Amino acid sequence: MRDVMVIGAGLSGLVAAIRLRQAGLSVALVHKGRGGLQLGQGTVDVLGYRPQRVARPLDELDEFLADQHRASDIPHPYAHTGADAIREGVRYLAELVGEDYLVGDAEVNVALPTAVGALRPTAYYPPSMADGVISLDPAKPGALTAGSAVVVVGIREFKDFTPELIAGNLALNDLPGGGRLEARADWVSFPARDGEVDSTGLNIARALDDPARRGALVDQLKALVRPGETIALPAVLGHEDPAAFADLRAQVGSPMFEIPVPPPGVPGMRLNDRLTRIAKEARVEVFLGSNVLGADSAGGVLQAGVVGTTGHDTHLKARAFLLAAGGFESGTLELDSYQKVSETILGLPLAIPAGELIHDTWAGQQPLFSVGVATNDDMVVVDPATNKPVYSNLYAAGGVLAGAQRWDEKSGEGIAVASAVRAADAIISNLAGGQR
Amino acid sequence: MSDLLDTNETPAKELGPRPGLAPGQTVWELLAAVSPRIKDNPNTYEAQQLNRVSLDQCVKCTICETMCPVAKVTPLFSGPKFVGPQAERFRNGESVDHTLDYCSSCGICTLNCPQDVKIAEINSMARAVMKKDHMPLRDRLITQTELEGRLLTPFAPVANWALKQKPIRVAVEKVVGVHRDAPMPVAQSQSIKGWLKHRKGPAPRRPGQPDRGPVVFFTGCAGTYFEVETSKKTIEVLEHLGFEVLVPKQGCCGLAEQSNGLFDSARKRVVKLCEQLNAAGKELTVISSSGSCAGMIKHEAHEIMGVDDPAVRSVGTRMRETSEFLLDLFDEGELPTDFKSLEMKIPYHAPCQVKSQGMGMPAIRLMELVPGIRVIESEENCCGIAGTYGLKKEKYDVAQAVGRNLFEKVKEHNEGLAVCDTETCRWQIRNSTGVSTVHPVHVIHAAYGLSDVFSPEV
Repeated sequence: MRDVMVIGAGLSGLVAAIRLRQAGLSVALVHKGRGGLQLGQGTVDVLGYRPQRVARPLDELDEFLADQHRASDIPHPYAHTGADAIREGVRYLAELVGEDYLVGDAEVNVALPTAVGALRPTAYYPPSMADGVISLDPAKPGALTAGSAVVVVGIREFKDFTPELIAGNLALNDLPGGGRLEARADWVSFPARDGEVDSTGLNIARALDDPARRGALVDQLKALVRPGETIALPAVLGHEDPAAFADLRAQVGSPMFEIPVPPPGVPGMRLNDRLTRIAKEARVEVFLGSNVLGADSAGGVLQAGVVGTTGHDTHLKARAFLLAAGGFESGTLELDSYQKVSETILGLPLAIPAGELIHDTWAGQQPLFSVGVATNDDMVVVDPATNKPVYSNLYAAGGVLAGAQRWDEKSGEGIAVASAVRAADAIISNLAGGQR
Repeated sequence: MSDLLDTNETPAKELGPRPGLAPGQTVWELLAAVSPRIKDNPNTYEAQQLNRVSLDQCVKCTICETMCPVAKVTPLFSGPKFVGPQAERFRNGESVDHTLDYCSSCGICTLNCPQDVKIAEINSMARAVMKKDHMPLRDRLITQTELEGRLLTPFAPVANWALKQKPIRVAVEKVVGVHRDAPMPVAQSQSIKGWLKHRKGPAPRRPGQPDRGPVVFFTGCAGTYFEVETSKKTIEVLEHLGFEVLVPKQGCCGLAEQSNGLFDSARKRVVKLCEQLNAAGKELTVISSSGSCAGMIKHEAHEIMGVDDPAVRSVGTRMRETSEFLLDLFDEGELPTDFKSLEMKIPYHAPCQVKSQGMGMPAIRLMELVPGIRVIESEENCCGIAGTYGLKKEKYDVAQAVGRNLFEKVKEHNEGLAVCDTETCRWQIRNSTGVSTVHPVHVIHAAYGLSDVFSPEV
């Protein structure tokens, strides 16, 4: 018997599994495919909009939650975790992966240029994005300020990054502290492999892992950059070698930053690979490619997760279970053609907002996305009708939680890590209690 | 407009059977009768439909592309999504992207897909169609694994000598298309059958160990003729633990033929094999130290070739990997762990087809039950060999590039031994690193004091 079975290997599953393992518990991490972290931007959003842009997420949390409470009868996940778990979750993650992977401050948001030249608020970001930081805190100026000159550089062989569009839009943004950036577009050529005219971002990143390939890019950048300019490039500057970016930047000798691009997103992949490696090295037992088909329970306690091992089911016994399998994006939540929403792994009761779930306001919040499982403050899954635990040893974290509009709020990673540490700490203290 | 309305208002009574559809005939049978392409399709209709259904789940997230070990090292393969879920829509039975031939069928794409798309399965099926009319002689030959074993065993010293002679290998490469540097098995003078026949009864049980009843051992072709030590050690460990090990007469599972698109003959083989294994007992656990052959029986026969046979299903549900089986015993508190200490670092590579069995990596936990052992996981997706892929002269370089990081890691971390659960992967790792590479049971056998950990690897 394991101590804990964690279902799902996205950000919340990985972080919780590592924290549980570091507390000395045996942990099986079961997931059907690679988690969604790889598809993200490699940044940690805590709270970006409420709906106006948020400068100090933790200071503004109470007001945000009060507005949420007025608007919806489903509590926001942050109402359960509180600011301390957010702080601890983000700190824990950043410390786990180290400064080669994440830098920032949970208290203060920054704005980062996007692949359409907009400014997106976030709290932590890879060091390769630091030279593109625009501060939202007037007291602490960022790397880019009013009048800063940016040259957005596209790679001819890479089709998902159009520097004219980005530079054009970037120059139209009013900066939070007033003023605008100066931005222009330019191009380089860097086929990831000989003769390639259409290279994926990942292949370019892999090519740049090889120090011998970097010179070709460096020479072109040095030739085009003007004195005082900051270079913006697609986020493809090295994959497995965490020093690749710093080396390129040093060789060019100008400030330089990466802008995240659509999947395969290299910064998300770097973070996912790093966390997966930490989990495996700590001997979290990882079951990749295994669907969880259901669970065995008795007397309100989950006893085993039914894992769809090839050829037969494996009843994986554990003392506690953490559902961290994501929401609609991963198929954990499903909407059928009768507008009925269900949780597909354990068949849990869901918190569903009253009224229409999907409406036709383009770009507006869809109530459907706040559907999820309800929990108490220990992240134990409860029946929303009674507020009683569904199983005394079943916890939930991350995208499956009810009450958030993660994409609109820009709160996905913050919820994932805050609920993960909250659930992990509750499991650690409950299992320790059980042992006495 | 009025024509359309007329059509819509055709009275129901006029709707007879569809034109050309004979009573009891399925649409598929009708199409097969009129279309040579469908008639000659080596896939079953059911398997094709089953896997096509999963296409709609593809959200184009590209995770499979990022994980593909072949696309990582060569532009000759456009990647699992491009040849698979993307091209499948235009395929209509035939592949539109012939780089598909460079897919090694390792299955890493399906394993990592978060949306349950059967990428590798779809691609294996499409390749069978693509190769149907021009199957190289080489691919027909190298898939005859059982025949190879039977032919080589009586002449083992000569065969092993011949396989080391450069001029002979060059000739083989020119005539047959097997690369001159590709790893070859080491022929043994005695097959596992010969060993079982000549040994003086089962190995002794551990002191005080009560009888645990019978289990069936599936040896696999390589475990019968080439990796005989793995089979011997599995049998002896099981006997040491109190099991009676039944080894019925058994043939090949057909995996090599399956991965080369020779479905008809592979289907017959896997069914026959499972009938043979069933003959030893219809309820018994079947244990295998041949990682990829177990995968074939557990799911590939069904999911790629559409085999729906009661014997295959029955054996598939009862089959356990050796490490999986021993670790299950441990989790039930039934595995003695009075192992002797083996102070060593062991690089371990989980083969693709063991990874794809959805059971995690039991070998790591199992070996680390032995005091002193620290396993270093390769963290690589594939060793490159992928059964017969890395033997082929046109794919040898790709296979070596796929395995490069793994080889370096094995060379860097080994203390005289590397571990991997599948035979062809071991040949690849041995050939490319020069490091002795053994099945996990070899380590357990030594830890129970039944042999030295540096006893012969084959």
